[in-house]
Amino acid sequence: MTVPDEKVDAIVVGSGAAGSAMAAKLAVGGKKVVILEAGPARGNEDLVSSAIWARRLKWGGDPVIEEGDNPVGNVFNAGYGVGGGAMHHYAVWPRLHEEDFQSRTLYDEGADWPISYDDIRSCYDDVQEECGIAGDADREIWRPPGAPYPMPGVPLFTQGEVLARGFEKQGMSTAPLPLAVTSIPYKGRPPCIWDGWCDAGCPIGALANPLTIHLPVALRAGAILATRSVVTRVLTNQSGAYVTGVEYATGTGEKKELMADLVVLAAFAIQNPRLLLASASDRHPNGVANSSGAVGQYIMAHPAALIYGLFEEQTQCWMGAFGGQLVNQDSYAKDTHAGAGAFGSYQWMIANAVKPNDLLGISTTRPDLFGDDLHEFMKHSAQHFASMTGVVEDLPVAANAVTLSDQLDANGTPLAKVTHTTHAKSKALWQVALEEGKAIFEAAGATEVWTGPQAAMHIMGGTVMGDEPQSSVTNSYGQCHDVANLVIAGPGLFPTSAGVNPTYTIHALTARAGDYLLQNWHSIIP
Amino acid sequence: MAQTRRGFLRNTGIGLLTFYVSGCDVEMTPQEARERKIAYGVLTSTEVSTLDALGEILLPGSAEAGLSHFIDHQLGAAPGEQLLMIRYLGVPAPFAPFYQGGLAALNAYSMAHASRPFAELDHAIRTELVEQLTQGNPDGWQGPPGPFFYFVLRSDAVDVVYGTKEGVESLGIPYMAHIEPPSRWGE
Repeated sequence: MTVPDEKVDAIVVGSGAAGSAMAAKLAVGGKKVVILEAGPARGNEDLVSSAIWARRLKWGGDPVIEEGDNPVGNVFNAGYGVGGGAMHHYAVWPRLHEEDFQSRTLYDEGADWPISYDDIRSCYDDVQEECGIAGDADREIWRPPGAPYPMPGVPLFTQGEVLARGFEKQGMSTAPLPLAVTSIPYKGRPPCIWDGWCDAGCPIGALANPLTIHLPVALRAGAILATRSVVTRVLTNQSGAYVTGVEYATGTGEKKELMADLVVLAAFAIQNPRLLLASASDRHPNGVANSSGAVGQYIMAHPAALIYGLFEEQTQCWMGAFGGQLVNQDSYAKDTHAGAGAFGSYQWMIANAVKPNDLLGISTTRPDLFGDDLHEFMKHSAQHFASMTGVVEDLPVAANAVTLSDQLDANGTPLAKVTHTTHAKSKALWQVALEEGKAIFEAAGATEVWTGPQAAMHIMGGTVMGDEPQSSVTNSYGQCHDVANLVIAGPGLFPTSAGVNPTYTIHALTARAGDYLLQNWHSIIP
Repeated sequence: MAQTRRGFLRNTGIGLLTFYVSGCDVEMTPQEARERKIAYGVLTSTEVSTLDALGEILLPGSAEAGLSHFIDHQLGAAPGEQLLMIRYLGVPAPFAPFYQGGLAALNAYSMAHASRPFAELDHAIRTELVEQLTQGNPDGWQGPPGPFFYFVLRSDAVDVVYGTKEGVESLGIPYMAHIEPPSRWGE
């Protein structure tokens, strides 16, 4: 699509979960919207069922330099091209809990959000109706209050049955994993066939990704989507009080400017702060929207607790969704494991569908094996393997941050450097989860149990929201404290990571912010 | 080897690569390329023989499945379009120096300790050397971190053997594709 020369109402930078949802909201609200996507075009026809093919959905833009003891895994966690990271996300959509929004007040750890659960509850309800979530609210005994799921819970296959046995023997509960995947026909979308190809991108519309949900809405409402358009600077007026638009580089390297009343940065947790910092000027010497110095700070990534096992039964471990079949949040209370030096929440995503190869494939769970031993392991495990993944809360640390590197990209923009070392209490919680996970597998009758290394899952923070302009970048709507018509959308807003997957909350926050922007447009726009 | 980006992605995703043969582009699988002795674009003949010898220790059958052509072709692609697993393992592109540095280190270590290139070592000695790589850098190792080099190459070998439709189904796993690859690696 051709980017207009004239000023538009809103520019949305990025076409992932947050960007596409915001673009849809604003375009349906009557605004002229241009989405600038750094990566290539994608269509459903590109989503070939292959674990190798799936790699092109991962970040392929400018290199990100990673430092610290526990790198955030930008390439694996971020996305590239239309739909962003949401094209390869697993659609595990639990809600944050009420206490997640008040961690500092209740526990003197982490940070408070500038909103409570009640402020976002109706947004969760609206989003689940719009996008469709399969689940069982009654069996999900940990779930905060909200409307019941619009689709029945996902089916249980043998792997889920086997692992549920372990939870039951340990006196723990399980419920269908809340998935933004169709368990029945839903709003013209077909039901999932539970083939485990979520990571390669779902081309049939069963999984709620941007190509299925929000981009069609945005485009039908007149939004313009421009690919290979890398935003290089946020432009401000003379005083620096307002943004006026952005500078971007086209696929041929040509620099252009596009003016707008509103700019929404939805380029994920690392590229958003990179862009703000790289847009420094006389008016904003430390970067745009950075009078607090908080831009880039408090980068978080869930430490994944990976539990693997072999069972006598044939587990059909390839069936289901990549995210899993069942959920358990018995360990969500944040102060339960203080004796172990731990703090925070975690949940189990139980019975992940697996493929033989790739980073989360069967072969990678036993990197010590090679040669004929590896062949033997693969043949046996393909029929008897089971796994589950713990999503462990990562406490926010100011020193875990995005900063600018001395290295420049082809457009002359400094590369992002991300430093991340997991907080000691979060690392201790990850260890607690590992021990619990092993005990569950043993109770389920595993003939062999082992665990994986600490892996980074989901990236959050870097442009955190808060009530105090001195210590946060935006208000609860993502509106920058320093620059009223500059808005951040996405997981970068999260002040804490909670112990659940972030995408549902990204959508709920974006819906809330979009409504606010439309209702207050004339007071926000200069 | 001129081709469109979309064509590159489409072909590599389904197992076909485009090779320049006698003045034209020809699509074939890595194994077909190996059988037809298609020239390599990035790797030298020494690197290829070392890689194939390593692949056979890491996962027997991977050399025959076209491991070296797969890696060579991917190393020739633009950084954002490469489909090797190394792209999300924290190594900055370009990746060729990583592979070439590791293979050179493997050969140098073999020469220093057995007076022969890695590809000419007995199977048992090659296995022993790979075992050492899983534990840490062997004494005098001059390449990328040994265990990491092992992990990356092992992952590539698994890709060509078990990452295809044929490979998946060889494990008794139904492929169940939405968009099925019309050709396999290792045919």
